[in-house]
Amino acid sequence: MKKLLLLFFLPVLTYAQIRIQGKVTDPKGEGLAFANISLLDTYDGATSAEDGTFRFETSEKGTFKLQVSSIGYHTLIQEVTLSGTDLTLNLVVKETINQLNAVVVSAGVFEASDSKRMVMLKPMDIVTTAGGNADITSVMQLLPGATRVGEQEGLFVRGGSAQETKTVIDGMIVQSPFFSSTPDVPQRGRFEPFMFKGTAFSTGGYSAQYGQALSSVLLLSTQDQLGTNTSTTASLNLAGVGVSHTHKGWITGSVYYTHIAPLLALVNNRFDFEKVPQGLGTSLTINRSLKRNSHFKLYGTWSDNNSAMNLPSYDTAEGSYRFANRNRNTFTNASYKYVFKDETWVMNSGLSYSNNKDKLEIQKYNADRTDERTQARLVMTKLFGNSNANSFNFGAESHYITVGNRYEGFDLGFDDSYTALFAETEMYFTSKLAVRPGLRYEYTSVLGESNLAPRLSLAYKTGQFSQFSFAGGRFYQNPEKEYLYVNPDLTFEQADHLILNYQIIKNKRTFRTEVFYKKYNKLVKEETPGFDPNPYRFPTGTTTNTGSGYARGFDVFFRDEKAIENGDLWITYSFLDTEREFRNYPKTLAPTFAARHNMSLVTKKFLPKITTNVGLTYSFASGRPVYALNDNFKEKELTKPFHSVSLMASKVRQRPNSFLVFYFLVDNLLGRDNIFGYRYSPDGTERYAVKSPMKTMVFFGLVWTFGKLNGRSREADLNF
Amino acid sequence: MKKMFLVLCLAGTSLVASAQKEKYEATMNELTGVLQSEYQRSIMPEINKMERVANAEANEWLPQYWVAYGLIRESYVVSDNAEKEILLDKAEEYLRKADALSPKNAEIEVLTANLSSGRLVIDPMTRWQKYGALFEQHLAEAARLDPQNPRVDYLRAVNIFYTPEGFGGGKEKAKPHFESALQKFETFKSPHTYSPAWGKAEAIYLMGQ
Repeated sequence: MKKLLLLFFLPVLTYAQIRIQGKVTDPKGEGLAFANISLLDTYDGATSAEDGTFRFETSEKGTFKLQVSSIGYHTLIQEVTLSGTDLTLNLVVKETINQLNAVVVSAGVFEASDSKRMVMLKPMDIVTTAGGNADITSVMQLLPGATRVGEQEGLFVRGGSAQETKTVIDGMIVQSPFFSSTPDVPQRGRFEPFMFKGTAFSTGGYSAQYGQALSSVLLLSTQDQLGTNTSTTASLNLAGVGVSHTHKGWITGSVYYTHIAPLLALVNNRFDFEKVPQGLGTSLTINRSLKRNSHFKLYGTWSDNNSAMNLPSYDTAEGSYRFANRNRNTFTNASYKYVFKDETWVMNSGLSYSNNKDKLEIQKYNADRTDERTQARLVMTKLFGNSNANSFNFGAESHYITVGNRYEGFDLGFDDSYTALFAETEMYFTSKLAVRPGLRYEYTSVLGESNLAPRLSLAYKTGQFSQFSFAGGRFYQNPEKEYLYVNPDLTFEQADHLILNYQIIKNKRTFRTEVFYKKYNKLVKEETPGFDPNPYRFPTGTTTNTGSGYARGFDVFFRDEKAIENGDLWITYSFLDTEREFRNYPKTLAPTFAARHNMSLVTKKFLPKITTNVGLTYSFASGRPVYALNDNFKEKELTKPFHSVSLMASKVRQRPNSFLVFYFLVDNLLGRDNIFGYRYSPDGTERYAVKSPMKTMVFFGLVWTFGKLNGRSREADLNF
Repeated sequence: MKKMFLVLCLAGTSLVASAQKEKYEATMNELTGVLQSEYQRSIMPEINKMERVANAEANEWLPQYWVAYGLIRESYVVSDNAEKEILLDKAEEYLRKADALSPKNAEIEVLTANLSSGRLVIDPMTRWQKYGALFEQHLAEAARLDPQNPRVDYLRAVNIFYTPEGFGGGKEKAKPHFESALQKFETFKSPHTYSPAWGKAEAIYLMGQ
């Protein structure tokens, strides 16, 4: 009996222990600390020491799975047979491709994002930068690669015209990203920076997912749903009032009324308004995470703006003409994202409709400008390979575009249906080397032609904090609509880009430099009897795709988040050498929108005691070329250099159920009379300088949020 | 004799089972003690051991919870942001496992809120919008599931404590929440000796700051 009893308890009571020991290393033989060595289905195991060695005892018998896991390394599972003898194991684990070690394809991209690595900017930089006036494009103009052009809206990138940059929201091209153009008066962007969680400004060599831009794309991605609270926000400033309401975090409606009379009353200006710019706008945002794996977004906005002003006609010193505009704009963008169950397939789809109507009255003549665009887009992404770090994207987009311009007896316009197919893959050969080849096919019915554009990016990590990147490819764009109205036999304009980039991000300091070369071909060229420098002239001569040009140069960006306590400092410099023969240029010339040297110095500081953020920006651009009426192009003339100092301050006050931000900004603090170019009298004997309508601009306002905030109010982020 | 044999057999198996349970409880008590009190050295060895328990006891939510807890704590200690992120990714994985085993659990919601604040501190300026909202959402859910859980008040207090005064935070504003947490700690009963118990000592420490 006793014997039987003993037999029973034997498995529990006997501890015939064996020892398992060894070393965990990477493929190079380097020992790994804190690796977890475990005998699966038991509690037995060990944590490796500093040098990778480990040892533990176990009383288990039989065949087991031994697992080695270490943060940043692939898990290794190996079978072991425990049969009473000690074991010595050498366990080699391979690195995963992860945030710690992976190189990032970065040539040609300036990104403000909080979700990605190695970005140069943060979304908040867009609202806290003095001189940026909380306008996305104005802030981008302070970055290397962009030229400050004071008399016109748009992004002029590395010798490219404003038409060579496209604005893209969640993958969809925005037809009219700026408020309607008025000669020599730059307009703001239509979209508030707070709508976006990320902004990527490409200075060239961009992905095959985008097209129809010879120089650059500005990629904006809208916010995801933030929380589930309800709140109301009111805003009041020198240019208008607005109110918006968010219901349970997922649906927001807003109405705003703009009228710039208070601003005009307060600030000295050269405007001669018959009807002060005023308008009504409204928007609706729906942002819904449907399940863990799908997300729906809808953004719709409608606005109606009205103004009438007298603009200089340049025939006499006092001569003027009436320019009145009523603009009605609709923009809607819906997107749906679905992540498939195994999380290696992702679908992104979008649908967008936009309609922009300008009802113009120029002198006594009526003119209408209309454009309408309907677009659909579908992109599938497959993640694969080591740590799912590789991706393969393919997709299609289709646009239907109608544009028109009516001016007295003329009725110009066309329809275009545009289709693009693209595929791109990003592959990591090792964590240090990534390659991204892509291909884009486009067909546009207005030209009746197609093209095939190859793109390539590479990145190589040279150290823990530094890397080289390369980007290149071919880019196509339809000729500007003013040319297509008259001559539909034109073909695509094209540009080839080569970019080499080096960057190092260490210890809250960033240094980035880029060298580039861009070659333009098949630019539209117009034969005209003499040379008319007026940028607003309507083309009348015969046109061909025989223009060409180049742009080359380099830029430098340095950012230091350490030098100023609670503050930030960045310096940018760009050198640009560019010439082109295009539009009505009779020979190869430096374009009037290109400045050889561009520089900016941006500083910010947060003062916690008074919860105030202050920023000061200095920007400089060397003179831009000036060409006279019927110029013989023998002598070179440049405008005088552009200098501007801007200031901004914002103060935040938070109460339990309300949140108040007061902001104040001054643009061109020192009141320098910058000259952006000249306009000529019809006989060419007189010329008049183009200047900013407001020498020094002062602007202030407040934003007041009531109700429970979702997280913290975004304005609270002014604390950096 | 046959009967005797059967009884012994049953006793034997239940003895093995109860030995296993004892081992589980002893290991859990030992590890949770260190995970909640060790501030001098890395707790990676204990996290690793807890992970071995979590893998062996795949149907128990508490070991999964504690692996996540340890990794979140460790993320506050390491200095490299990318390393923090990798630790938190793994913590999130274990929180998901815990949540699948024990849905609608206030303790798991509290820890998920804590994970959001771990993500947030990596870059507070730009991450407030997303992770501040997630933090509030999970904390509110925890409070709804168990209004008497002291860690809800404790975590809210800590969040206010570290928010600058100008943004409605600060020591004074945090005090009532710490007090409410301490009050709830007096009456809060945990089902196991190795259930979450953190927050009390920390609350007393922070109130004294």
